[in-house]
Parts: sequence; C-alpha cells; structure tokens
Amino acid sequence: MLVTWKYRPRNTFIQSLDPRTRFILLACIIFALTIPEIWDYRILISLFLFSLTQFLMARIEWKDIRRPLFFISILVFFIIGLNGLLSGRGGPSSVADPNSPILFQALIPGTTWGLTVTISKLWFAMNQVIRILSMALPAILIPYTIDPNIYGTAFKQLRASDQVAFTMDLAFRFLPTFARDLTITMDAQRARGYEMDKLKGGLIAKIRKLAPLIIPVTMQSTVTGEEVIDAMDLRAFGTAPRTWLKNLKYAPRDYFVIGLGVAIFITCCVLKWGFGIGGFFVPDFFTNALVG
Amino acid sequence: MNNNSTWEFGTRQVVYGAIGAALYGALSWATNFFPLPAAGNITFRPAVAVLIFFGVAYGPIVGLLAGFIGNTLGDMISGFGFYWNWSLGNGLMGMVPGLVMAAITDFKDRSQIIKAVGWGALGIAVGMLFASLTEMFVGGIDLSTALVGYFTPAFIGNLVVTAILLPILMIAFAGVAARRGR
Repeated sequence: MLVTWKYRPRNTFIQSLDPRTRFILLACIIFALTIPEIWDYRILISLFLFSLTQFLMARIEWKDIRRPLFFISILVFFIIGLNGLLSGRGGPSSVADPNSPILFQALIPGTTWGLTVTISKLWFAMNQVIRILSMALPAILIPYTIDPNIYGTAFKQLRASDQVAFTMDLAFRFLPTFARDLTITMDAQRARGYEMDKLKGGLIAKIRKLAPLIIPVTMQSTVTGEEVIDAMDLRAFGTAPRTWLKNLKYAPRDYFVIGLGVAIFITCCVLKWGFGIGGFFVPDFFTNALVG
Repeated sequence: MNNNSTWEFGTRQVVYGAIGAALYGALSWATNFFPLPAAGNITFRPAVAVLIFFGVAYGPIVGLLAGFIGNTLGDMISGFGFYWNWSLGNGLMGMVPGLVMAAITDFKDRSQIIKAVGWGALGIAVGMLFASLTEMFVGGIDLSTALVGYFTPAFIGNLVVTAILLPILMIAFAGVAARRGR
C-alpha cells in the first residue's frame, strides 16, 4: 500500500501552463457560474465545452481517470440530477413554475401530495448536471497534471505567506512518509494477531479497534514534528522572508489563458447584471419536443 | 504542553499543520481501503479524530491548515480533484476545536477530555454545515438536501468517530508529551 501521486509528466499544452494559471482559471470558471448565478443553457453549454476541451487536452489515460469519474458521475447524476428532477429545488424559483406541462405525476390518492415531474424540472436537472460537470472537470485534472513538488512554490508566488506555502510544501513531502509508517504499523500489528481486514463486533467496537493502527502513527508523527521544528529553528525559519529553490515564471500562453478566464468571468457578470441574460428558462424547442 | 498563544503562527504551527495535513490525507486515503459499514449514506472517517486532536493539541491555525490541506491531499491522492468548499469545511472542523487549546492543560483529565470532545462536536457541526450549505451555491442543491443528504450523515459519522477515538488519542499524547518533557 504505497501512496502514488497521480501526476505523470505529459507533453501537453495543459501541463505546459504555470500551475498558478490553472488555479486562477479554475477559480474564474467557478466564480463565473456561481457569483452571477448562471442557469442559461446557452452559457452553461459553452462553459461545459470549454471545460471538456481542457479535460481532453490533458490526455489523461482512461485507466487512471475511470475510477474518480465513476464516483463523480454517481454523485452528479443520482444525487444532484435526481434531486433537481424530483424536487426542482435548489435553483431559481422559476423552476417550480406551476404552468409548466406535466410529464409524470404520481399522487397519493385523495391528496395533492406526491411526485410531479414537469418539463421545467427535467430541463433544470439537465442544466444542473452540466453546470456541475463544468466546474468538476477542470478540478479533476489538477492532481493528474500538476507536479506535487511545486504546490508550495505556486502558492508562495500566488502571494501566500511563507508559513502557508511551507506548510503546503511540507505536507506534500510528509504524506508518503506517513503512508509508509501506516503500512509498517499495520504489518507490525498483524504480526501480533491484529486482524485489520476482519474487524469484529459492533460499530463502536470496530472504531475502537482502529486505535492500534492510528495511535502509534499519530504519536510518532508528533515526535517527528519536534525534530523538524528544531531543524527549522536552527535555520532561523520565520525571522525573514524566505527564498525558494524553484521559481515559476509566466509565459505568454499563461497571460492568454488567465485573460480568457477573467474574460469569461466578466462576460457572465455583464450578461447577467447588465443585460439580464443568464437566468433560468425552458427553451421552446425542448417543450415542443416533449409535448408537441 | 500548551504554552503558546492561541493564534500564534510560527515554526511549530507550520510543522504541525503540515504533519496534521499529511496524516489526515494519508489516513483518509488508507481507510478508503477498509470502509466501516454503516446505515444509509453515513460513512465513518477515523481520520477526523486525528484532525480534531491536532486542533485541540496545537491550536486553531494548525487545525485549519491540517483540515484544509489534508482534505485536499486526500482528494488528490484518490484522484478526485479539488473542492474548495469541502476543504474549507474540513479546515473549520479542525480550527474550531483549536479554540479550546489554551484551556486543555492536562490531556488525561476526564473533564478536559469531555471539553475537547464537546468542542470537537462543535467544530464538526460548523465545518460540515459550512461545506453542506455552500454546496447550495456550488451544486445548486436545495436546503433540505444540504441538511439531510450532506450535513446529517457527515455530522453523525464524524461525531461518533471523534467521541470514541479522541479520548484515546489525548491519553496517549499525555504519555508521549510527559516522556518528551515539552
């Protein structure tokens, strides 16, 4: 059981971008959809295609990406999509339009309670799935396409303090060590008869039985911490601004991509607040296709 | 054990923030291989007890960093990407119990352990509520789905784990700290 980073060097445009550019672009897409509350399918589809293009350009192997995509698909389609389809809540109030044609209805006899699926709710559910995927696809790419060794530098050059950037950098370095400690501890406990795979008893007993695994690793880490603090104090950490071994520099393509991200955000804000475009509505072609 | 001011952000907080984050990430990832069965969609993450412990032992800054970065790391090594609102929610879950750090002077004392578990519960409530409610803006879900589908399972699962494992961690830490002499 070894921690393996998902990152692999690939000769792609996406990986040639500065990591800061990638974070800024992701933030622009999320803000463009959430701050002006965009639900217009024309804008949603445009942004979805933009995110999908990034995803395909990253050229991540299917065997690497299929598992997370499977879990995210379940979340998006079943939890969020079905919620939108059945309840129609969570979006703008126009989703619950009482005049929207009914597609399916199952009421408790003698009452007005039950399940009502309208055209409006169906369209909203589809929009909601596209909206989430537009934000999730660029986020999924990050661990696969950014070298774990440059997160600290990237955050430092995004104007984070030395402390925050160093915490990030150290965490990435400690992670494989602690994962290895966990494996060693598990093997040692198994040699003493500890059965990790077959935890018996009730729920509380099962959780308590994880203690022989968690406690030694956690306590050892606190001891390691004191040694690292001593080493950093001896090097006068925190007394003056630090220099960093790696230095990231924006290339023209980074300015172009950041400009594109900012333009997307500003366009969404201007469309929504300046021209009233971007709100939820059911297009006529969709209604006509379903009810004629 | 706790002779630092609550909001100090020096070498100690940097190192323990990083260690807490790495542990939280590694344990979250490792326990994916040994899921604890539970009712409905409630899942148990034993790593949460470690996060709360780091908050209680080393303060709110350490809890915030350990939760935020640790959740990000756990998601990244599982290949799930980056979800800022859940990472920030986990950060709050570690930060709030850190507010009690100055009041915890004896990690073996029963009343102080109960106090730590209580603040841990508050942290879980604040952190998971933040993550669930922000999902309304990010995911477009409604309030009842946020509370029933997201917050309640996360809160119950994390609370059970914390109530069981945090006292054990605190008692073990008291022994380690006494041997270390600082």
